[in-house]
Amino acid sequence: MGRKGILVITALLIFAATDGGAAWASGSDHVVGLRRLSEREYRNSIADIFGKDIVVQGMFEPQVRMDGLLATSAAVLSVTPVGFDSFSKMADRIAIQITGDKFRGKLVPCTPKSTKGADDSCAATFFSHYGLLLFRRPLTADELKAQVALAHNMAQSTGDFYSGLRYGLAALLQSPNFVFRYEVAVPLGNKTYTLDPYSRATRLSYLMWDTTPDPELLRAADHGELNTTEGLDKQVSRLMASPRLDTGMRAFFTDMLELDNFDQVSKDSLIYPLWSVAIASSAREETLHSTIDLALHENGDMRDLMTTHKTFINRSLAVIYGVPFSFDSDWVPYETSPDSGRSGILTQVSMLSMFSHPGQSSPTRRGVALMDIFLCEPTPTPPNNVDFSQVNDPHGLKTKRERLMAHATNPLCASCHNHSDPIGLSLEGFDSIGERRLSENGQPIDLSATLQGKTFKDGTGLGQYLHDNPKYPSCLAHKLYAYAKGMDTQDVPTSAFSAAYKSFVGSGYRMRALIKGLVESPDFFNAPAPVAEASADHSKLALH
Amino acid sequence: MKLSRRGLLRGTFQGSAAVMAIPFLDCFLDNHGRALAATGQPIPTRFNTFFFGCGLTTQLWVPKKTGLDYEMTNQLKPLEAFRKKLNVFSGMRAIVDDSPNIQHWSGLACSNTGIPPTKVGRFDSKTIDLTIADVISRGARFKSVAAACTGDPKESYSSLGGANTLPAEPSPMALYTRLFGPGFQDPNKTDWKPDPQTMLQQSVLSVVADERKSLMKKLGPTDRTRMDQYFTSLRESELQIAAELRRPDIVAKVTIPPAPGEVPVNYSLPTLRNVTPLMARLGALAMATDQTRVFNLSVGQPVSTIFVPGDPFGYHITTHMEAIDPVLGYQPRTAQYNVYSMEFFAMMLKELDAIPEGDGTLLDHSLVFAFTDVSFAKIHSLDGLPLMLAGSASGRLKTGYHIAGNGSPVTRVGLTAQRAMGLSVAEWGSGSMKTTAAFTELLT
Repeated sequence: MGRKGILVITALLIFAATDGGAAWASGSDHVVGLRRLSEREYRNSIADIFGKDIVVQGMFEPQVRMDGLLATSAAVLSVTPVGFDSFSKMADRIAIQITGDKFRGKLVPCTPKSTKGADDSCAATFFSHYGLLLFRRPLTADELKAQVALAHNMAQSTGDFYSGLRYGLAALLQSPNFVFRYEVAVPLGNKTYTLDPYSRATRLSYLMWDTTPDPELLRAADHGELNTTEGLDKQVSRLMASPRLDTGMRAFFTDMLELDNFDQVSKDSLIYPLWSVAIASSAREETLHSTIDLALHENGDMRDLMTTHKTFINRSLAVIYGVPFSFDSDWVPYETSPDSGRSGILTQVSMLSMFSHPGQSSPTRRGVALMDIFLCEPTPTPPNNVDFSQVNDPHGLKTKRERLMAHATNPLCASCHNHSDPIGLSLEGFDSIGERRLSENGQPIDLSATLQGKTFKDGTGLGQYLHDNPKYPSCLAHKLYAYAKGMDTQDVPTSAFSAAYKSFVGSGYRMRALIKGLVESPDFFNAPAPVAEASADHSKLALH
Repeated sequence: MKLSRRGLLRGTFQGSAAVMAIPFLDCFLDNHGRALAATGQPIPTRFNTFFFGCGLTTQLWVPKKTGLDYEMTNQLKPLEAFRKKLNVFSGMRAIVDDSPNIQHWSGLACSNTGIPPTKVGRFDSKTIDLTIADVISRGARFKSVAAACTGDPKESYSSLGGANTLPAEPSPMALYTRLFGPGFQDPNKTDWKPDPQTMLQQSVLSVVADERKSLMKKLGPTDRTRMDQYFTSLRESELQIAAELRRPDIVAKVTIPPAPGEVPVNYSLPTLRNVTPLMARLGALAMATDQTRVFNLSVGQPVSTIFVPGDPFGYHITTHMEAIDPVLGYQPRTAQYNVYSMEFFAMMLKELDAIPEGDGTLLDHSLVFAFTDVSFAKIHSLDGLPLMLAGSASGRLKTGYHIAGNGSPVTRVGLTAQRAMGLSVAEWGSGSMKTTAAFTELLT
């Protein structure tokens, strides 16, 4: 963003600091959600506020998958000492770059009276500008005062105006107001609550673009436009029309499809010498690329994700898919042939390799994961004292199907294995790294399966089964809702969800209709009533 | 005897805290020089944890005889060199009462919190390492440090409670950078002076800390707890900066090696054999130079996916799939994986024992708590969890024993460890695991 753009926002800010910031400062509001920024959200926010040239380097605390989504854990996790130390150092490194020689001309919106000492007026301009963008709301008068005072003292003790800015900016960047997204509720009357305009802007932006609200969205928030149907629709349409919707939905699908697992996938190089880190990252990209293409570029029917022959491949994947690679660009559209056994996302290398053992495919792991990801049906854990050796085959002569069928002799095992194994068994035509195979241990592989009364065969049949199963689009919609709100998928209230789902179904399962239906549904911004004041003693106990 | 300002401050802190730390007072009282380094400074006692997944095979690791002259067993064999500095506890039970036996989780959480967990991946209280760190870590640069030999930062079993665990450093390079990168004050440096930049960072933190009050009043109770954790973490950074501004006063007989560079880190056995000693060595150096007094090392997760190249199943699946050999009476491949775990533990002890300190080694001034998630992995058994304590905690713990717990709760080992570390805790654990019965026969 150039200096001119900065000045425009700053002008807006001066207005906002006296008005829009009032809700936060007044104390009539309550924080009903507190979500720690993910690594992606943090990186995207910094790049959008300060430019892509600013290097963000450091460790981010891992998220934890809860009820199918990492996003859910963002509303539960805090910042550990290791995480804080990292945030703190990252903040300083970012602030050094922004206030340093190279970028200050572009990023600092005013020129100090002297570079050798404090200039409170220029500092105030700087902090109110970036404070709004970083906190996603205007700074309160007290906050601004504290920042200016810090910069003042630092400028005096170092004899450098820009050092003052650096330390002040570092403080903003490690503040909980930046590293957590606050969702603030204000009373709507009749004991109901709703998110304040800035929290609305924030929720929309991180859902749709995976980043901090842009100046236009903040402006709309400031003018109360996000609280009117027309104003909201205008902003949502703008966000939907942008190619940045790809970024937002990539983040969602990475979470929903559990593609983060790829960071920890190890394959046994003795058994699978073909496997490499390049294949792993390509497989992940293939899935995102083809999913986004179908969902957003083609505006396709999301059920077709299970059956489509269209995908994208690069040189690394061509090896696994057995395709002669003679393309001249990095990624090329590719259509799988009907006799390749591959159609839909379930037969992509990503899904096949992530849910396998290092040296062997696993029908159970594949089945359990896919039931959870696409049908929102988690499989219970097996009993503690189950003896799996009865299903083992010490001589390695049987196929996995034969081994797994031994579960059927035990009704306790069968109840869960009948639930998840059919999915996995129909994918046995692909090994641990997703290569096609027709036999195992010298025997042809039986790829037939029966699930919930329907019989099908192989990956293609499984894809068709899921395509025709209404639980799949419903699960997808539930996950998007839970992702947007940072809640458990199973806690998504049916009433609130129904309007969005209706528009999804009505559109022929178009992703865009789902997103729009969701964020424009009447209660998307409804907030729970604040929990009654806890005593100070209680919070102390919880800490110590 | 010289009283340092730091020592006095420690005394004051401890005087006002609920738990008293005895070792530091001991240091003041000790005139025999035993606990003093060459400079006359007291050598702190350190606490380590070592986590390994999937337990051991009872009939291959539990010695028949108890006491000092127990026979060396097949699975303890890798630890033979350290036998005199080691206590092994057999027959310890994790008792979950009405809580579920959460597979591969309950056992480890019971062992390091004393409380059966209610949800997978969550601890229902602070873990033992951080309980001990509260008392022993004042003055050290980092309150505690965790490292994961397999490269997954989530493989840390150190937590303030809840779903948050302290992320583990996922590679030797990451661990090195944290410990000996920016901010490291080399105690052997002769021209030491505080870094003025570091002082300015203090002012930044104090401005952020001032936000606490206005934020807290807007939060509900759950988020308040989370925000409390944030500000507790901030406080730790302040203490870290304070440590970086003091002249380091432990002059260790070690030199800090150059950065290890990026090395492959994954779940395969050969890689782990390379990475584990590197991680352990860096942890030992960190303790020798008082960067931290609490170090947690993990080799794999409870559902251990460590694998020997060529084995299509890997460790965890093998424990479940492999039949019990009718002649041997155990699972031979699983048993081999168990032995690897003990070899990794031996690698850690070797690094600790390699650093001379006072009249002994770093290991002698440490206590290492080794724990796992199950005893017999095949059936997720919580009876007879293998637990070990290595090092004598600067002479406070007798070593060399095999203690048979005879089904008593795992918390007895944790309580013994805390007492040895100088915490004046009377009881530890909850429900059927609540105990006052430390192994007092081991405490000096």
